[in-house]
Amino acid sequence: MCVAVPGTVISVEGTVAAVDFSGNVVRAEAGLVSVKPGDFVLVHAGCILQVLTKQDHDSLMELLKEIDGS
Amino acid sequence: MTDRKDFLKAYSGEPLRFMEVCGTHTAEISRNGITELLPPEISLISGPGCPVCVTVTDYIDRLVWLARQPETTVVSFGDLLRVPGSRESLADARADGGSVKMAYSPLDILKMAKSEPKRTYVFAAVGFETTAPVYAVLLENAIAQGIENIRLLTSLKTMPPVIDWVCGNGSRIDGFLAPGHVSVITGSHVFQKLAEKHGLPFVIAGFDGEQLLAAVYTLVKCRGRAGAVNLYRSAVTEEGNKRAQAAVEHFFEPCGAAWRGIGIIPSSGLRLREAYARFDAGSMGLDSDREHNPLCRCAQILTGAQTPVSCPLFGTECTPQHPQGACMVSAEGSCYQYAVHHRKR
Amino acid sequence: MKITMAHGSGGKETSGLISEIFAHYFDNPVLARMEDSGIVDGAERIALTTDSFVVTPLFFPGGDIGRLSICGTVNDLLMSGAVPRYLTCGFILEEGADTEVLKRVAQSMAQTANEAGVSIVAGDTKVIEGNGGIYINTAGVGFVRSGIEIGAGNCRGGDAVLVSGELGDHHAAILSARMQIENTIRSDCAPLNDMVEALIKNGIEIHAMRDITRGGLATIAGEFARASGCCIELEEKRLPVNEQVKAFCGILGLDPLYMGNEGKMAVVVAEKDEQRALQCLKESRYGENAAAVGHVTHRENGMVLMKTAIGGTRVVPELMGEGLPRIC
Repeated sequence: MCVAVPGTVISVEGTVAAVDFSGNVVRAEAGLVSVKPGDFVLVHAGCILQVLTKQDHDSLMELLKEIDGS
Repeated sequence: MTDRKDFLKAYSGEPLRFMEVCGTHTAEISRNGITELLPPEISLISGPGCPVCVTVTDYIDRLVWLARQPETTVVSFGDLLRVPGSRESLADARADGGSVKMAYSPLDILKMAKSEPKRTYVFAAVGFETTAPVYAVLLENAIAQGIENIRLLTSLKTMPPVIDWVCGNGSRIDGFLAPGHVSVITGSHVFQKLAEKHGLPFVIAGFDGEQLLAAVYTLVKCRGRAGAVNLYRSAVTEEGNKRAQAAVEHFFEPCGAAWRGIGIIPSSGLRLREAYARFDAGSMGLDSDREHNPLCRCAQILTGAQTPVSCPLFGTECTPQHPQGACMVSAEGSCYQYAVHHRKR
Repeated sequence: MKITMAHGSGGKETSGLISEIFAHYFDNPVLARMEDSGIVDGAERIALTTDSFVVTPLFFPGGDIGRLSICGTVNDLLMSGAVPRYLTCGFILEEGADTEVLKRVAQSMAQTANEAGVSIVAGDTKVIEGNGGIYINTAGVGFVRSGIEIGAGNCRGGDAVLVSGELGDHHAAILSARMQIENTIRSDCAPLNDMVEALIKNGIEIHAMRDITRGGLATIAGEFARASGCCIELEEKRLPVNEQVKAFCGILGLDPLYMGNEGKMAVVVAEKDEQRALQCLKESRYGENAAAVGHVTHRENGMVLMKTAIGGTRVVPELMGEGLPRIC
């Protein structure tokens, strides 16, 4: 039930943003965050929960390197 | 990642029991086949992390009753439709002429309510910290647009009190896989506090196979130490989403909440504040859990004292087609996941 | 013009409808005789099948109910190793259906029948009360090739499992149209004559073959596993899924493994023929994204297993409950 998916904001009108998920455009409420076109966001149940920073495979590996030594 | 996989496979120390408290984690652990990558010494246990599983029958019964009231429609996430109340599920009520609609977002009811102002639309507002802000946004919108014919039947729950409860009443747990999307809202500091309180590692992780495996690896490495590690840094900050926290705080206040299989845990739920009581569809006092097969082990399973396969009903009287207990009902329930994936552990 | 109850009376309006639309678009010598039955040449062994189509919306990106009604039946015949030859079609029309819409549907059926090499040799129309809906049943006859034994029970350890293209396109296209999610996903609805022909012509040893429809690849793999008493092992990394369809599924919490197509098939071939079969599929019409996705083993007989991208293994469950909205 806590499924949330990342997408990219294409446009914002008031508190509603059009969010692109690899070619699928869905309208989502943007009242809980400040967003602008181009932002990478996390959407849950029709609502943007957070603006995401890019985290890729490499940055997870960096993090795990710290843990390797612990 | 291969080295860390090998490290996990080769682990042969004392048995470790880690609990995940998010239904989506439970489902993704099965879907990624994570347990197959672990030695028998490392167990992953599903805690009370699926909001559908922990909902009591009183709540379902109230929804079923509402669906049969004149000029009333109950709107729900699909996950909840098949959950049996003491006699019926919402799906049963719908088949019998009750007015029930499925929605992907609570916000969908704004349009419905606007187009039929004489009908009352009740949203079955279940969920944890992740979903609570969405209901706050719904109410903000309803008030701004002057829509008065919507109601919430709330069964909203919060994570920290139930984790406290599990640590105090369940069996030994060596660490927690903290719920990734709850953390997006609450921030990682909530789990740092819990970690210190219970002297255990908490690892916040996302939902893909790599994040899940990294989380188990981190839990093993950090075993025996208190502290929260955040592996889901793209989405989770220390403070979380403060605007969302404020929106929830504005409309809701903490209350005691009934958990299926556990009972009432003080301050583990959220209810509408007095000022917004007009949006409540009668959520107070829905605390009893009536239909209860005496052999059902949901309580022990939700708290990690037993695994699904050790329940006497599992796979015989209790199956995904004919669930006896909460954990077999929801697609994110631990028993359901064990059953459909033929998981032994 | 709107369909009224009179169009189903069997009188003048009915014959007008038949001559203006159905006989016009489906025209062939057998149908043109307008007898109570179409009389056609036969074969020693025939394959016979039927399917009904109730999809909404009637027109969707990549196809329409007419094309679907031909492909569904033609593909079922092809999967049993038959050469599809004759189709019948029955229309159930709700009062208020638009004859212009009906013309477009009939035209699409005619085009698809032509592509699939079948003639529509008999038909029927009924009108019922309602709200303008159009429903179609087609039945089909195919001539079974000699020396071909295809059946879900014939899978054997070592066999290769292939799919003819990306999973879930039709299902995602229909759901997108219904839920008004903007994307460019198109239904894959198509007759699969060309690729089946290619496999047979090239002497590929086909053990089992099914078109991937409702319930998706997971359901077909389950049927193969249970019927043959073998285990189907799939590899997550090899499953072809369009990025847009994948993201669409993510939004709605769906799994492409359970999503239906209307122009894809899964085929189990002898181990030695894996690469040749893949090449045949890739070079055939509608098969450019074909992939080898797994093998038949005896690890957990009667079950479908998935090797996950992270390296784990899991059981692929059967589709449970009401599943997904109807799509054909």
